Amino acid sequence: MSVSASAAPAWWDPDTDDLLICRAVLTETEDVKTFVFEAPGGRRFAYAPGQFANFEVECGGGIETRSYTLASTPTRPDRVAITVKRIPGGIVSNHLHDRLKPGDALKAQLPLGDFSTARHPAAKYLFLAAGVGATPLMSMLRAEDDLASGADIVFVNVARRMEDLVFRRELETIAARNRAVRLAHVVTGEGAEPWAGHRGRPTRAMIEAIAPDFRDREVFVCGPDGFMAAVRGVLAEAGFDMGRHHEESFTFGADASAETPTVPEDPAEKTWRVTFTRSGKVVLCDGTTPILTAARKAGVVLPSSCTKGLCGTCKSKKLDGEVEMKHAGGIRPREIEAGQVLLCCSRPRSDVTIER
Amino acid sequence: MLSRAPLDIPRLIAERRPGYSLAAPFYRAREIFDLDLEVIFGRHWIFAGVEAELPEPGDYTRLDIGHLSIVIVRGDDGAVRAFHNVCRHRGARLVTQEAGCVGKLVCPYHQWTYELTGELIHASHMGEDFDPSCHGLKPVHLRSIGGLIFVCMAAEAPADIDDLAAVLEPRLAPFDLRNAKVAKQVDLVEEGNWKLTMENNRECYHCAGNHPELGQSFNKYAVGFVPDADDHAGQAEAAAYEAQVTAQVADWEARGFPSVAVEHLSGRATGFRTERIVLDGAGESQTLDTKAACRKLLGGLTDAKLGGLHLWTQPNSWHHFMGDHAVTFCAIPLDPEHTLVRTRWLVHKDAVEGVDYDLDRLTEVWNATNAQDAALVELAQQGVRSPAYEPGPYSPLTEGLVDQFATWYVERLRAHLG
Ligand SMILES: Cc1cc2nc3c(=O)[nH]c(=O)nc-3n(C[C@H](O)[C@H](O)[C@H](O)COP(=O)(O)OP(=O)(O)OC[C@H]3O[C@@H](n4cnc5c(N)ncnc54)[C@H](O)[C@@H]3O)c2cc1C
Ligand code: FES
Ligand code: FES
Ligand SMILES: [Fe+2]
Repeated sequence: MSVSASAAPAWWDPDTDDLLICRAVLTETEDVKTFVFEAPGGRRFAYAPGQFANFEVECGGGIETRSYTLASTPTRPDRVAITVKRIPGGIVSNHLHDRLKPGDALKAQLPLGDFSTARHPAAKYLFLAAGVGATPLMSMLRAEDDLASGADIVFVNVARRMEDLVFRRELETIAARNRAVRLAHVVTGEGAEPWAGHRGRPTRAMIEAIAPDFRDREVFVCGPDGFMAAVRGVLAEAGFDMGRHHEESFTFGADASAETPTVPEDPAEKTWRVTFTRSGKVVLCDGTTPILTAARKAGVVLPSSCTKGLCGTCKSKKLDGEVEMKHAGGIRPREIEAGQVLLCCSRPRSDVTIER
Repeated sequence: MLSRAPLDIPRLIAERRPGYSLAAPFYRAREIFDLDLEVIFGRHWIFAGVEAELPEPGDYTRLDIGHLSIVIVRGDDGAVRAFHNVCRHRGARLVTQEAGCVGKLVCPYHQWTYELTGELIHASHMGEDFDPSCHGLKPVHLRSIGGLIFVCMAAEAPADIDDLAAVLEPRLAPFDLRNAKVAKQVDLVEEGNWKLTMENNRECYHCAGNHPELGQSFNKYAVGFVPDADDHAGQAEAAAYEAQVTAQVADWEARGFPSVAVEHLSGRATGFRTERIVLDGAGESQTLDTKAACRKLLGGLTDAKLGGLHLWTQPNSWHHFMGDHAVTFCAIPLDPEHTLVRTRWLVHKDAVEGVDYDLDRLTEVWNATNAQDAALVELAQQGVRSPAYEPGPYSPLTEGLVDQFATWYVERLRAHLG
């Protein structure tokens, strides 16, 4: 590419030309992809980091409009990118994931929004991202890092499993190199990759542990409504100055409770499959029988002694699935968090996989 | 080796010359080493570790001294207890790892299960007549003084630990060590008898020539170093340091930080010495630049310039408590010619590595100093193996506290041999 020093850069202006051309589709995680776009004529993009734009997608015979954060950074103005999570049953996200390929065109409107460090300059920030809510915070982080602004940023990235952490490698790279940036992953569920760090919903203790000086920071939060509500609660209760708290919702106030709840079957009344990975054996176990008992009946011999949840001899790693455990002190909360269960006092609540 | 007459230990003890190092067998002989374990480590209060190692219920550490093994565990009630690490069934070792977290203490052999209070709560197939209440774990005396854990394996523990507690509790309180965390633990095996390790620790005669890193903050006049009468420069230095100490100690005391020296190193079962020492340079910490290594200070302290509160306990520990961090040292005899020195660096439990402190910076001075001391102890051990070795005189000017150690040791053996 040759850039003429005298010519002023031509800026992309959706009022005169709203087309964007897809240049690349990148896989971030199992259900998150990044789409990189170029403006016709190599025009450049101007926006504030963290802003979003409305995109028009032709699918299913009509035109659907959805908002997506420009997860890229304005400090690299030649391209913009959006990072999209596939929503089961979602029209646009599935269309993008399954159909959009390099060379395809898409319409986009003017970048919008005030959820940006550019609108709330501060020396120190706390970013709290959950799931694909990481996109605006990633845009801001990339910008601060590119500009070597020196802003002190603590980035908390929350996902259900380690494997679901969006931008994980890039965040780690930035944090490793940029001394002003500190990263904390938080995992709320169980995945294949073990995780010994922070777990669960955001609590005051967790935030204090990660950023003891959070009161001195400008706070930006983006993620599911429940997550953002939890953070809001924690901050308010801690006496945080809420004028310095900013959040972005992806749902535009959509009422989650309006969704018709399906009546779940009682999992205690069903029979579940318990798979033991080392022996390769599969045992059927109903929701009222301890897994150890069902295994013994099926001829699977496992270590045990007290069968009362006391001695810990039957402690095993649960790789997958849900159990209901009523122990008597033979296991510590920390071990439970790390995925251990006592088989003598655990009853399945779904299909379960045990490392034995 | 040819067979030889058994050592006449009482005679060796009787012949110890005050003011002189010990006779070679004290540093080499298996018989005396065994006696040391039985008498010195078996019947006195031993420094075993810090509560900060056991932040949560179920956390335990194991401590082995010779054939003795104990487990120190935090119970569900938050209290820390110590037990002999011996199952009451057929005696198997209960806890095999050095440290960890358990729900209950469970014997790996036949799964006898003990509550963290020592009570036996599960033993399968023992029949109707079996009484679990007679088979609890054997307790070991434990005292936590300001978060430092002392244990005594004797049936009856020396009562004068109360004096140590009375002096130390108020001194340690501002550091709130129970709410500290162990930022780093380093184990170093010194190739020397444990008493050579301790003697080396009790003097700073060797500091100027061996400890350039420590010397940045630690003034050699601080612990029992007195210059020669004709060393005018030294006299002047010592006087200047003394003047600084007088002013600083008065200031600390006035602000509620007890600082003056309290010395009870011999003449009692539980020997100790403590003093708040003025550090050189910025006066904050035993770091290369003499400034705090941890931004978040211990306890609720706001002033980093608190010098170094030093503590020695007989027979096996020394410590430095500073505004920003604490270092504790625990010596454990391994065999007649090997000693484990376990060093722990403590910082505020909320201090974040890489943010509030840099681990290398925190540990570099004592890592270097420990390595230097280990080399010196090894030299001393090599020397006492030679038939040419004979007890040598301690310097009356700089080694008075080493003599106190040897005196305490000999006193304790004498007291137990009758
Ligand atoms: C300001 C803003 C910025 C956004 N930025 C991004 C971004 O960077 N990356 C990104 O992936 N998305 C982002 N979104 C969300 C995006 O606009 C779409 O809502 C999302 O992609 C789903 O669209 P869809 O057509 O696939 O689902 P739809 O067909 O609209 O919905 C199908 C079903 O999914 C439910 N649903 C819709 N959205 C969600 C959701 N987010 N989580 C769970 N269930 C949902 C609906 O209630 C409905 O039941 C942003 C939204 C806003 C308002
Ligand atoms: S067998 Fe004792 S806890 Fe399960
Ligand atoms: S030796 Fe401990 S249970 Fe048998
Ligand atoms: Fe030394």
